[in-house]
Amino acid sequence: MKRRGRGIACMWYPIGFTASANPSAAVVKVNEDGTATLLTGTVETGQGSLTILAQIVAQELGIATDDVHVVSADTDTTPIDTGAIASRTTYVTGNAARLAAAEAKQILFQVAAPVMGVEPDHLEVSDHKIQVKGFPQRSMHIGDVAERARGVKGQLPIGSASFNPATVPLDPETGQGKPFATYVYATQIAEVDVDDETGEVDVLRVVASHDCGTPINPMLVEGQVEGGISMGVGFALEEEMLFDANGRLVNPNLTNYIMPTSLDMPKVEVDIVDSYDPTGPFGAKGVGEPTCVATAAAILNAIHDAVGVRITSLPATAEKVHAAMKAARAQEPRSLTAG
Amino acid sequence: MDKKAGVIDKEAPVQTVRDTQELLRAPAGAPLVPLPLEVVVPEARQQTPAVRQRATRPDARMHGLGQTKYIDDFYLPGMLYARVKRAGIASARILSIDTKDAEAMPGVVAVLTGRDVPCNSFGPSLKDQPVLASERVFHAGDGVAAVAAVTEQIANEALEKIKVEYEPIRPVLDPLESLHLETPGIHAPNPNIYGHKVIKKGDVEKGFAQSYRIFEASYRTQMVEHVPLEPHSTVATWDANGRVTIYSSLGRITLGRSDIARTLAVPMSRIRIVATVVGGNFGGKNEIRTEPVVALLAKKTGRPVKYTFTRPEEFTSSTTRHPLVMDYKTGVSKEGRILARQIRLVLDGGAYCSWSETTLAKALILSAGPYNIENLAAEAFVVYTNKTMTGAMRGFGAPQVCFAYESQMDDIAKALDIDPLQIRLLNVLREGSLSPTGQTLQSVVVRETLLQAAQRFGWNGAGKGTRA
Repeated sequence: MKRRGRGIACMWYPIGFTASANPSAAVVKVNEDGTATLLTGTVETGQGSLTILAQIVAQELGIATDDVHVVSADTDTTPIDTGAIASRTTYVTGNAARLAAAEAKQILFQVAAPVMGVEPDHLEVSDHKIQVKGFPQRSMHIGDVAERARGVKGQLPIGSASFNPATVPLDPETGQGKPFATYVYATQIAEVDVDDETGEVDVLRVVASHDCGTPINPMLVEGQVEGGISMGVGFALEEEMLFDANGRLVNPNLTNYIMPTSLDMPKVEVDIVDSYDPTGPFGAKGVGEPTCVATAAAILNAIHDAVGVRITSLPATAEKVHAAMKAARAQEPRSLTAG
Repeated sequence: MDKKAGVIDKEAPVQTVRDTQELLRAPAGAPLVPLPLEVVVPEARQQTPAVRQRATRPDARMHGLGQTKYIDDFYLPGMLYARVKRAGIASARILSIDTKDAEAMPGVVAVLTGRDVPCNSFGPSLKDQPVLASERVFHAGDGVAAVAAVTEQIANEALEKIKVEYEPIRPVLDPLESLHLETPGIHAPNPNIYGHKVIKKGDVEKGFAQSYRIFEASYRTQMVEHVPLEPHSTVATWDANGRVTIYSSLGRITLGRSDIARTLAVPMSRIRIVATVVGGNFGGKNEIRTEPVVALLAKKTGRPVKYTFTRPEEFTSSTTRHPLVMDYKTGVSKEGRILARQIRLVLDGGAYCSWSETTLAKALILSAGPYNIENLAAEAFVVYTNKTMTGAMRGFGAPQVCFAYESQMDDIAKALDIDPLQIRLLNVLREGSLSPTGQTLQSVVVRETLLQAAQRFGWNGAGKGTRA
């Protein structure tokens, strides 16, 4: 008989390296038509980080995502970036990109201010325009300002910046310190069916509520969460590298190393919790790694809820769950722990 | 069979590149439609303000059309193919490597061993990984020799002709065995424990003394692979000025360059690294892997060289997730408030350090969970074993410790007859809470995520153990 269970797990996760420098640099160039180019040393690894960076630069310049072309991943042309690691790209590289865009914007403000008869700090950007704060009808198209910067003033709107999260080293005796600039939080709840004869676990549904600060792109946050959950399902139930007594891997292939496929994916429901971190670009933190942290814990708690056995070693294969249920049935009073 | 262009014959078998003459003339993966394609820009990419827009990714169009060029899609004129001979033995002393027969094979252009590597060690923190093992094998996936040949098949056959004599050494596979001091050091004279950190906050003994109940449990997790769809891949080519361009699936090019410069003993200004869209990283492509071997073979042969991992190599010879042994002791009040927690973590570091120091620190700091715990004593060790090295992987130890602290949280809730949601709400970190390392936390919304998820799920405190 299939028995249904539900399990909850919450987690916290830091953004950036552990109490060590992990800087990123960025260069932003505003073209004469008001579009822009971002140079970054990070590499797109499929998560959409280059789009996030384009959105951050676009926001700072008051232009659209599609107006920003991102050049990345070439050590001859792009500045140093610690890389797509430690869930740091949105926060660290994003801050660098925002600062670089702000520097280019300041040059545009200096060019536009005398034309509009105000001080540069009275200007703001909005919808492809540079305008006077409080008087949006007094504005110039950002492209006209950029063209004037080049052709009249000879002052090019190029900004560059670097960013490194503020940390304090850990005391070696007590571990006290500030290892990370900020953290994100999440809760996932899993619903499972466990076959009480075979031990087979079917993950039906995972509800995920994640904090990432401001979601720069909610769709890409959802993508990360769905991907993280698929990784968590494999970690919880199936994936395991097995070594023989001589230390040779016995399953170095996708025939015997079992991973979840799209058919094994539960229904995933993602919510992004309201959150704002003043140290992140436009309040953003990050979301990459945290998405796979709570999944296995939630699934294992759901198995416990369904059939009353506590599996204390991953993965919770059908064999392991079956053996634990058998051991629990054989014992009076019922044991709740099995390895 | 009717092969009229543009007409899709539903009866016809699926055409492959091999049986289609037209396709054979075009480079693999080239489009059969003229470029540029009609570009329709989705509205969300054209809107301001840009932040919070559901903007599509430009690379998604490339993926969808099969247009993305991964490193293995690169071909340079005269390019050779590299393969690496893997030890296949977990722990041994290398007595001799005989490459004569392989070198004599027609089609083999160069063979490389560890002795040909200018600086045969690398690693993101400890430089304990060899580019090619020359004296000792520390895990079965260690490379012992590399071949560059005109085809991949010849390179594979050449590996069979390389004879390596080993003197086996008993492998240490269990992290707890490795932790014992009497175990001979795997990397002697260095100890097996190569990383150790502690966190002390408050007074755990006092906390346990005040506790209504104390819960103790031990948890273990397994070794898993990142399994990126795109295996590690590198193409290297040198120019006449002694400058090398490396096309790589590396996810961290700017820091990879300094590691490559060190192994090749070449100034950084003479190295250019170009990456494309990485076909899945998850932490596994965060350190150099095949780049030095490929660059050295390209230098030795004077021709571009490509090396792409096989799927088995992805498992045996790239980093993996740290297995953890986690001992938790938690004291709670009658109401379910955590008063004290003691934790010991043992991380299986595999054969080399890689990103273990970071994983150790993150696992330790996060091991208390997102909870307010005044009295905490946590300790973590990372040890060498003769298995595939463990390194950076999405979460750096966090999924492992979350499994432990959340399993125990549910056991405490059950024993005290408290709803699992309520016991968490009672203990979670709040705005301004002090972290285990004494950091004042900001933008803390764990409580909000619990309530939001519970509402979405329809958790309402009742219905535990409902049946399907």
